[in-house]
Amino acid sequence: MSSESSPLTDRPELTFAAAGVDALLMQFGQTMDPCLPGFLAQLRQRILSELADVVHEVVPAYSSLLVYYEPRAVRTFDLEQALEQLSQDVPWLCSPWSTDADTPGQLVKVPVCYDPRCAPDLESVMALTKLSAEDIIALHSDKDYQVYALGFAPGFAYLGALDEQLQVPRMKNPRTHVPAGAVGIAGQQTAVYPLESPGGWHLIGASPFVWFRADREPMTPVQVGDRIRFYAIDYATYEDLLAENEKARSGAQQ
Amino acid sequence: MTGFRVLKSGILALVQDTGRLGYQHLGVTRGGPLDARSAYWANRLLDNEANAAVLEITAGGLEMEAQTQTMVALAGGDLNLTVNGEPQVPWRSFWVRQGDRLKFGTPRYGFRAYLAVSGGFTTQPILGSRATVMRDRLGGVHGQGRPLQDDDYLPCKHLSEEGISRQIPQNYLPQLGKQIILHLLPGYQQHEFSKEAWKQVFQQEFTLSNDSNRMGARLTGEPIAVPEREFLSEGISYGAVQVPANGQPIIMLDDRQTLGGYPKLGNILPLDGFQLAQCAPGAKIRFKPIHLAEAQQQMRRYLRFFGL
Repeated sequence: MSSESSPLTDRPELTFAAAGVDALLMQFGQTMDPCLPGFLAQLRQRILSELADVVHEVVPAYSSLLVYYEPRAVRTFDLEQALEQLSQDVPWLCSPWSTDADTPGQLVKVPVCYDPRCAPDLESVMALTKLSAEDIIALHSDKDYQVYALGFAPGFAYLGALDEQLQVPRMKNPRTHVPAGAVGIAGQQTAVYPLESPGGWHLIGASPFVWFRADREPMTPVQVGDRIRFYAIDYATYEDLLAENEKARSGAQQ
Repeated sequence: MTGFRVLKSGILALVQDTGRLGYQHLGVTRGGPLDARSAYWANRLLDNEANAAVLEITAGGLEMEAQTQTMVALAGGDLNLTVNGEPQVPWRSFWVRQGDRLKFGTPRYGFRAYLAVSGGFTTQPILGSRATVMRDRLGGVHGQGRPLQDDDYLPCKHLSEEGISRQIPQNYLPQLGKQIILHLLPGYQQHEFSKEAWKQVFQQEFTLSNDSNRMGARLTGEPIAVPEREFLSEGISYGAVQVPANGQPIIMLDDRQTLGGYPKLGNILPLDGFQLAQCAPGAKIRFKPIHLAEAQQQMRRYLRFFGL
């Protein structure tokens, strides 16, 4: 995977690829660039509002948009031209870290318990990185992460980029069960598993943050183009927050 | 409440409708019947809406008791259904009375049966859909993505009068076989695969693997040479044929994850995907290229036929 580079100054070139009978992939290079999520989020909105009669779904990822369209309502070539035009119309504001009101993303703070009881791989990460637990926590939490994409599972946020000192390879033997809320790191990525699932990332903490709820609006508290900052909480606070979630959930079901 | 009581859940039985539309950007999988055409046929036999919820029964074993009277329709694979011990052939609708026992056996041909009821199953919709997506914990009888379990209750409406039993004419029935051809529409990273790799794709016969599921149909064969560079994850559309490092293709189906980074050859024609859904593991599979215009025309014909 290409690494996160210094922010691009020019918008990357757009190429199209077919993705079946009713989808087109808009590809903006192959770079994990902090400028892209905000740009893609805006472009996605423009496409959904201005081509609403022919496009029904747009799925953003690191450097691409997958556009699902109705082939009976538009010729593929005409749709490509319309999409190309819209991508030119959306301004390339390369300042994702600014706090300007113009920036599309918000900053979302996410609590993480780094206590050893929450972090089964803390010791192996210490061994791999030669860092102390305090350093690992400081390096992981003292940084704004860009939300590059939501996918894999409902609300799973692909975040980047991790501090270089914290970058460790994926585990050789992936776990068959990673508990919900586990905070993982792998390569230059970090994420929180919203649901129990298999996974090969090193687990250095656990978060009570709720990433997806079908009965809430918005269903995911973070969107592509937002930024996330982790902050450390102790084990007691973690348990309290989990209990609060449980209460909210059972309340919503009644 | 009226409906069906599940006596034995069998191998895998899922409530499905056309799926959750418009949430893939949040990571929510669409879901839906793997053999959508058969699901549409089952609903059409009852004059249901195309989106009415049906049961997708994989490989058989399901037993249910009717706790109401209604018309039901069966389409797709023949899983040796009996009603009170008497055999029922698929591709027709029939009347079911209170207390009737529906029992699916093992596959005679095909792999997935679709059972529709008049008006559709009326489980609680989540995000606009009743589709069961196990990996997302959404949909189904209790809303949490679980397949049918023993003692579940499947609600549907009561019919006061018996309807007309209908049957689909023989010449409309899809051909189900142990050898199928998947038309492949090149796309995605098509240019990143070598000429040799493409030869390997079109010249060999693949076998449908046991590890296949609703997320993806895994094929085994002579490994396909994969591009050396890595790609960033991107949106995965229905039927995408991805080739991970081991060179064994995976065809992404209705429960696919929304994003993935393996290099992709393109997508199969959805109509062929419906046939694939009726193949048991071990089936022999070949790829054949198709152009976008031809593929879209075939899909238009199919959608128009079902009034979609």
